Amino acid sequence: MLLTYIVKRIIWTIPFLFAVSLVSFALIQAPPGDYLTTFAATLAQSGDMVDEQRLEALRTRYGLDQPFIVQYWKWISGVLQGDFGISFEWQQPVSHLIWERMALSVCLALSTLLFTWAIAFPIGIYSAVRKYSIGDYIVTTIGFLGLALPNFLLALVLMYVGVVYFGANVGGLFSQEYQMAPWSWAKVVDLLEHIWIPVVILGTSSSAALIRIMRANLLDELNKPYVTTARAKGLSEFKLLIKYPVRLALNPFVSTIGWAFPQLISGAVITAFVLSLPTAGPLLLQALLAQDMYLAGAFILLLCTLTVVGMLVSDILLALLDPRIRYQ
Amino acid sequence: MASVLDPRLHTDTEVASQWRLMWWSFRRHTLAMVGLVVVIMLYLTGVFAEFLAPFDPQSASSRHVYHPPQMIHFIDSTEDGWRIKPWVQAYTLERDPFTLQTTFNLDEGNRIYLTFFGKGTPYKLMGLFPGERRFLVPENPRDRFFLFGADRLGRDMLSRTIFGTRVSMSIGLVGVTLSLMLGVLLGGISGYYGGWVDMGIQRLVEFVLSLPTIPIWLALTASLPPDWPPLTRYFAITLILSLVGWTELARVVRGRFLALRAEDFVIAARLDGCSEKRVIFRHMLPSLMSHMIASVTLAIPVMILAETALSFLGLGLLPPTISWGVLLKEAQNIRSIAQAPWLFVPGAFVLVAVLALNFLGDGLRDAADPYAQERG
Amino acid sequence: MKQTQGRLVTAVSALALSAALGAEAWAQTYDEAPQLAERVAAGELPPVEERLPAEPEVVTPIESIGTYGGQLRYGLRGSSDHNNILRMVGPQGLVRWNMDYTEVIPNVAHEFEVNEDATEFTFHLRPGMKWSDGEPFTADDVLFNMLDLVFNDEFAPTPPRYMTDGTPATVEKLDDHTIKFTFTAPYGDFLAELASPLGQHPVLYARHYCSQFMPAYNDQIDELIAANNASDWQNLYLAKCGDIEIPARWGNAERPTLDPWIISEPYTGGAVRVVMERNPYFWQVDTEGNQLPYIDTLLSPIAQDVESLILDAMGGRIDFQIRHLDAAANRPVLAENREAGGYEFVEASSVGGVNMIINLNLTHKDPELRELFNTRDFRVALSLGMDRQSIIDTALLGDGEPWQQGPFEEHPNFHEQISTQYLDYDPDEANRLLDELGFAPGADGVRQLPSGRPIKFQVDVIPTLQPEQVDMLELIEQYWAEIGVDMDVNALERTFFYERTSNSNDHDAAVWGGQASWVPGEIPQQIVPVHHDSRWGIPWSFWYNSGGERGEEPPASVKQRMELYDQARATVDPEARRALIHQIADIAAEEFEVMGVSKAVPTYGIVKTNLMNVPPAMPSSWYYPTPAPTLLTTWYWAE
Repeated sequence: MLLTYIVKRIIWTIPFLFAVSLVSFALIQAPPGDYLTTFAATLAQSGDMVDEQRLEALRTRYGLDQPFIVQYWKWISGVLQGDFGISFEWQQPVSHLIWERMALSVCLALSTLLFTWAIAFPIGIYSAVRKYSIGDYIVTTIGFLGLALPNFLLALVLMYVGVVYFGANVGGLFSQEYQMAPWSWAKVVDLLEHIWIPVVILGTSSSAALIRIMRANLLDELNKPYVTTARAKGLSEFKLLIKYPVRLALNPFVSTIGWAFPQLISGAVITAFVLSLPTAGPLLLQALLAQDMYLAGAFILLLCTLTVVGMLVSDILLALLDPRIRYQ
Repeated sequence: MASVLDPRLHTDTEVASQWRLMWWSFRRHTLAMVGLVVVIMLYLTGVFAEFLAPFDPQSASSRHVYHPPQMIHFIDSTEDGWRIKPWVQAYTLERDPFTLQTTFNLDEGNRIYLTFFGKGTPYKLMGLFPGERRFLVPENPRDRFFLFGADRLGRDMLSRTIFGTRVSMSIGLVGVTLSLMLGVLLGGISGYYGGWVDMGIQRLVEFVLSLPTIPIWLALTASLPPDWPPLTRYFAITLILSLVGWTELARVVRGRFLALRAEDFVIAARLDGCSEKRVIFRHMLPSLMSHMIASVTLAIPVMILAETALSFLGLGLLPPTISWGVLLKEAQNIRSIAQAPWLFVPGAFVLVAVLALNFLGDGLRDAADPYAQERG
Repeated sequence: MKQTQGRLVTAVSALALSAALGAEAWAQTYDEAPQLAERVAAGELPPVEERLPAEPEVVTPIESIGTYGGQLRYGLRGSSDHNNILRMVGPQGLVRWNMDYTEVIPNVAHEFEVNEDATEFTFHLRPGMKWSDGEPFTADDVLFNMLDLVFNDEFAPTPPRYMTDGTPATVEKLDDHTIKFTFTAPYGDFLAELASPLGQHPVLYARHYCSQFMPAYNDQIDELIAANNASDWQNLYLAKCGDIEIPARWGNAERPTLDPWIISEPYTGGAVRVVMERNPYFWQVDTEGNQLPYIDTLLSPIAQDVESLILDAMGGRIDFQIRHLDAAANRPVLAENREAGGYEFVEASSVGGVNMIINLNLTHKDPELRELFNTRDFRVALSLGMDRQSIIDTALLGDGEPWQQGPFEEHPNFHEQISTQYLDYDPDEANRLLDELGFAPGADGVRQLPSGRPIKFQVDVIPTLQPEQVDMLELIEQYWAEIGVDMDVNALERTFFYERTSNSNDHDAAVWGGQASWVPGEIPQQIVPVHHDSRWGIPWSFWYNSGGERGEEPPASVKQRMELYDQARATVDPEARRALIHQIADIAAEEFEVMGVSKAVPTYGIVKTNLMNVPPAMPSSWYYPTPAPTLLTTWYWAE
């Protein structure tokens, strides 16, 4: 039954991705103007000037004067053959630009997800079991402090404190000497030394949400008669907790995997921007702001694919964890 | 446990309505009560912004650029003794013409006296009711005082924060209400019916979810007609925020519904011949209450913060509209951190609002929990 | 550091001087950077005498002869900041501006001649000069650039700066090192156009390298296109050889250039830093015969956010930076950390104009507003109706001086009337003018047009461009409200702004930076509407630029100025040109079409205290372009 479900889901994915690609392409195109108006506007902003004739010529070259559907078709038919098109801004094939950044983004998102769970899971259980204790209030308050502080503000303050009081550069994911170096064990260590800052900044905001969800679910379960029964039968508190309520409370927790992942990548954009991280976020934001549409389109398509896979995983996990859920 | 031994004995608990029961239960949680009071106060602040703000939030003053916060004193000691009269110490601005660094020097002996319910600049409360009395104003209308400091144009941060409260608190409320309606409706239908309906709605949710939020915001807000007045723009942005926000709720609600569907009381209701609508709204929805409330208390600050993020990109509300997001955006630079940390006061308001909403949500959640009712 | 001693020599005497010194230098041997000497010893490079042209440009450092070594760090932003690299490396065109930004002097060409009526321009190249890969640079390279690319419509339309009356110049090779441009009509501004960063075309591409990406030179071009994943040859060409104003110019480390530093870690989409190393074949030496540049490496970390650039500066991780850092608002923070960061301020002074100029749309699509904006007294009332000094004190931290537009008092192009008329704050007179026009206030205090429509309009602004523009406008909004004019500040995202105000002409009014000195090569868009930044008459600028095909025919006063502008561009003699520009300014002053608030006062970037030969002040302009003509090749690190 599960197998049929999975197969069904995968078949669904194809028209779905197609629709997503269409909408994301439309979204990229929705803001007024195109890459070249943005280009001219950006240059003007720095006091630089650009030749108008050149702009018109480039517009024709890039096909930006063609109707939407033609541009879309050109793009999507290329993508199907593995050609993501050319980045207008960098005059390079998009595929040269995205993979390393996507990999670092996934790495950052994964670390943040693990960090968030490592924090949210025990704290959520603790504050549910010790409801309204001082400890509950303290962890709740701390969790919400993290939620209430905008990420980029926290990032900026951390960077300022780092520079002014410690003389350290907090931005980036690598030290100067490893930036262009090929991957090695030392580079991984260097990455680990830097990655915790964005992880903590991003994690503080998402763990509060998970703590609350965990706590709320667990409280629901704890008040149910079967728990009272189990307790009356003399089951130890710990065993009682882990055996059923926690397992059930995990249900919505698990359903977060599907969206948490791409959401983290997308949500990390602004933080990564402030910290100048070499992840997908800043490049995506740049591409969007510059209306470099093939570059932005490739990122968005990849994010969408990640989401679809994430959804699939979370639905399967949901079905496994909660045997009451039956798919007809 | 309430001890009901004799079935003929009716206690208050048994005849009380569901809402009364919830209120009784709610009252018991002190922090939730505190949260409720704070939230009410914040909303009242928003409603009476014009009356509470000492000055027009847009009115600039060249002599008070980056004026630091002043302490309010209530006891005025003069040569003739002392009296009770609120006042603040006056400062004068001095600026280095080259480095442009500003310092405020104590203007010894110059006190700015304040008065409660005095006459200030005339205003229209909520844009409707004209008035000129304000809660706290300087005795001399030409004076200014800055309890929360002043910003880069010498505008009063207290007044600005108060006006920001109006916009931000309402954007959260309106946005979450819209999200909630969409999310519960679609999530509920999806979870209850299952099958093809579920499949369809799930695809829709996935579809919206798999579109990264930032490009959606970017595209939608950038396509807002620029000549819309601030109020229309405000509602449009609220709508955009809630369009992105509903999916998460829908997904969670569906998960719960799927689980609930197998619960005995739902099967019982259905076997009893209850209509679909009745099963959903009378039996299933109330038991989702707790989860929804937890989500809603979390969603309001998320809305507030999302608005800040939009502002950071220059796409959210734009000055002259004042929201906490707009104010924090103005503080997001090294200059403010280093030289005018009081510009982060709106951040403290965000914090207080988030905490208060959370505690309030907790209290409501427990009060609405059907299994927790009986506990002493 | 002492005050800059500008090099006020005329072009001709500079030539004589450099020729004399060059000959002298040739007799002696040249010195080179130790790392290059090592490579020579290892047999990787020919000796320095063979790498330099027979007559290298001899540069007199402004302070002292330097020592080799070190790196210069400056911050780049992640997107669209390629011109920052260009400003540092310098547009190495045939000619360049002198350090004072008053005269065009030879650069890649070691001398040039202009005929009497400014139709023929002859450039003499330096014999023995080499591209950065050691291949010779000759007149054939110039021919390739001009004939195969600039005049090749398949590649891109010919920029107007190489044309007169719509006819492209004739480019001839007189010998291997002499090249002649002939125009069909007098073209006095040509040298200034060549000195601007947009005028580098004649010597941009190395023929021996870049021609392989053109179908005319390469039969196997299709394979090359396919191998590089490019869409067509033009795309391939741009990706490999770049163009003046696109990031790809700095994206290929293999491309030979004439620049002092050459790319070793390119500026591409994924880059986290850009590194440039010295060009072993660079063609300048100092007065003691040391090959320039002194500094080994330009290193630019890429920051996404300006705030992190400020932090880098405070932390001492930036050695020189004006761009992105010089907003007045950053100055207090930067000042406070001068000691900690080991830097001092470097002044970038505008020669004229304002940082915010208000353009009412005189070609508004709505006839009623158009008529209103075209009423001169209305504009005068608006100008008198704002307290500029108070706006400066509040929004500009007191750093400014009331000013309408145009070059400052010290500049030869200074025009008193256009700069200083109607600057006083006189609300009574403003009210009187408005009363006289018959705009009576309505119930809400807003004046009304005779039709009963309230006087209400929006001023478009990009909030992220210069945040203080919004602040200034918000204050102006309050002042104008007092004289019964309901103005709203309309903050727009930049692309939208550009589309609306420069393209579709949908705006009521807009603000823009208005720095101007009306020197050759610069477009005086606030006194004559010939550019997309002339937001007071966009359809007129379309009309002008399309030769009357598009847009809207302007009124006589504007047309007259367009003719005068054409004449000025043709004129060689600086005095005659100035007279023509002043005639334009006279008319513009009489019309009083646009208004400013405050002088574009100097801004301040940072420079490390032990970085030598950096002038403490330099002109600030894109056409100059700051800081390139101050010759970064002579900068060096003191012990």
